[in-house]
Amino acid sequence: MATKSEASLNLDLDLLHRLKSTEPPVWLAPRAELSETARKASKIIFSYLRTYAPKSPLDQLLIEGFDAEQIWQQIDLQSQPLLSSLKREVKKFEKKPEEIGKIREVLEGEKKVVESVGKVLEGERRVLAEESDDFDEDLDDGLDDDDEEEEEEEGSEGEEEKKGKGGAEGGIEDEFLKINELQEYLEEDEAREYGLKKDSNDSRKKGGRRVLDNEEDEDEDEEDEDEEELGVFGDSDDNEEEDEHRQKLENAGYEDFFGSKRKKAPKKNLKSIEELEEDSGLDDEEDEDEAVETKKNDNLSTHEKQSEQLRAEIEKMEKANLDPKTWTMQGEVTAAQRPKNSALEVDLDFQHNVRPAPVITEEFTASLEEMIKKRIIEGQFDDVEKAASLPSKAPRELKELDENKSKKGLAEVYEEEYVQKTNPAAAPLTFSDEQKKEASMLFKKLCLKLDALSHFHFTPKPVIEDMSIQANVPALAMEEIAPVAVSDAAMLAPEEVFAGRGDVKEEAELTKAERKRRRATEATKRMTAKKARDNTLLNDNDGDYLIFS
Amino acid sequence: MQSSMDVETVPSQLQNESGSLPPKPLFEPLKAHEMSDGRVQFRKVNVPPHRYSPLKKIWMEIYTPIYEQMKIDIRMNLKARRVELKTRADTPDISNLQKCADFVHAFMLGFDVIDAIALLRLDELYIESFEIKDVKTLRGEHLSRAIGRLSGKGGKTKFAIENATKTRIVIADSKIHILGSFANIKIARDSLCSLILGSPAGKVYSKLRAVTARLAERF
Repeated sequence: MATKSEASLNLDLDLLHRLKSTEPPVWLAPRAELSETARKASKIIFSYLRTYAPKSPLDQLLIEGFDAEQIWQQIDLQSQPLLSSLKREVKKFEKKPEEIGKIREVLEGEKKVVESVGKVLEGERRVLAEESDDFDEDLDDGLDDDDEEEEEEEGSEGEEEKKGKGGAEGGIEDEFLKINELQEYLEEDEAREYGLKKDSNDSRKKGGRRVLDNEEDEDEDEEDEDEEELGVFGDSDDNEEEDEHRQKLENAGYEDFFGSKRKKAPKKNLKSIEELEEDSGLDDEEDEDEAVETKKNDNLSTHEKQSEQLRAEIEKMEKANLDPKTWTMQGEVTAAQRPKNSALEVDLDFQHNVRPAPVITEEFTASLEEMIKKRIIEGQFDDVEKAASLPSKAPRELKELDENKSKKGLAEVYEEEYVQKTNPAAAPLTFSDEQKKEASMLFKKLCLKLDALSHFHFTPKPVIEDMSIQANVPALAMEEIAPVAVSDAAMLAPEEVFAGRGDVKEEAELTKAERKRRRATEATKRMTAKKARDNTLLNDNDGDYLIFS
Repeated sequence: MQSSMDVETVPSQLQNESGSLPPKPLFEPLKAHEMSDGRVQFRKVNVPPHRYSPLKKIWMEIYTPIYEQMKIDIRMNLKARRVELKTRADTPDISNLQKCADFVHAFMLGFDVIDAIALLRLDELYIESFEIKDVKTLRGEHLSRAIGRLSGKGGKTKFAIENATKTRIVIADSKIHILGSFANIKIARDSLCSLILGSPAGKVYSKLRAVTARLAERF
């Protein structure tokens, strides 16, 4: 047998090694040889487990001609009763821990075999874990094992079922997070609420799992999961441990999640029990009393349980009533009486007596601009108009200061003043009067023009001829604005333009004789003028004094 | 009692004897040359050098009214640079001489003949002269600036004062001469003094306007 087992073992190992050695990308595509190897390996493992599952109907795993689903079903057939038996074993060990030591001897013989297989499986599992990361999404919902396996198979055809499953788990689950655990806990909690559940199984199972995990990880993993499944709906006889378990969950520590640093299998159970005892010591007195009471009593009826819950609630409420109220419930509270910044957290309600600032939106500005435009078009501005003051007295005539040298002599000025005083009628017109006259003249002209435009029968005023200055401008320019032809005909006669003798020669053009003649004429003119002046002087003065010259 | 009676009786006595008293003497006004015991009166007016050539140019205009209308003899003493005036036998009024002397003096100060003629024609015209240093001690540039302020740009400030107050003003370096009636001289003098002291022309104008308006309203 040993040789046979060794030979077969070598063969199996060979198969498994082959599987392990294949590159991960190879697994992506379905291959016949890989599928074949995988099937054979599963058959081998099945036959190993056959020894532990005497009740299974199948002697060996039938792989020829069967598809993946059928193979899985076969495995299930074997493993279901196996899991239940294992559970029973674990319970037994929980009650009698000393028997574990016995197993160890038995196990150690087979340990090597199983360990080697386990290690190989571990390696393969890691390989598969890399591949099956894609499939992890489906597992997040905490599906049952069957579903997981089915989805696994759908995703990868012909892959190893077990390994696929193991790989899938390895993707997101590790020692801490087990989705099946989570699901089981949730169901457990729900059941507890309604008082249907007994958790003793779970606690034992957890202890058992810890034992198994430390030694053989993946081999028993699926079995554990099956156990869990069974455990959810299975019957658990122990009611004592229900509250203890609850307490343990409430006071979970590091060790509960990650296990103690010193991984000792047999002492786990002991430890768990010790923890329970410690937890019970740490809990509140009420809980402790409750736990003690419930431990002491038998099964509580549903009514009692409900009444206990009610009592707990009532006590809680009474306690709240006795305590001083929160600051929001007290009447007037100053800042010193409430914790710092607590007003920020509370939704205070108070009146704002201020009109909220208008929200400047586009419509708002558009409406404003429209109003502005309308007002501008209408010309209706809200300017403050000055109230016109009533004229109290006639406006004084402002005398304008003349800054030019006065053309009249001082004597004439006084003469005018005197005349105005004595005889106002005969007084000559003042400057202001002249301005008035000019203004009236302008107005008359304007009226004439307007009459010409507006009357049907218009008779022009008679023309009064007076002297006018003729400008020496071509005639056509005076008559037409746009001269058709330019005419040089001037308004003035030639003698009017230039009246003089023939000597129009310049200084430079003169001959010497002519220059002399000019000088002589000028000299005679000067002499005559002087003589005329001197004559008058001579006549008036005495001869004694010098005469100006 | 008796004395009063006596007094009362005396006038009655006089009244009875009114024909015995001589008539009141009637004297005719003295002629110009009869005053001061029939001697001729002279007036001499110095001619400053800067007025010498203008005097030469304008001599006839001065000479004619004085000789013809005021009946005063006038001559120019070239050696002494003086204008001399003398009453004639037919000078109607002794004040003519003084008037003529004032007229010539006005010309020497710098006034135009047409303005100075007013002295001959009107009695109540006077000349007032004062210096800038009488108002405020100014030196150098300040003095120049004050003179500039007085006359204004192109003389417009001076003319404005002249026209508003019916006076004539002559600004000769630091000396200021004003010719006009008494009240007008006062107004003109006030304006000029405020200008010397530094007020701007606009302010002076506004004051002038107010004062002249008031003056005009009075008549």
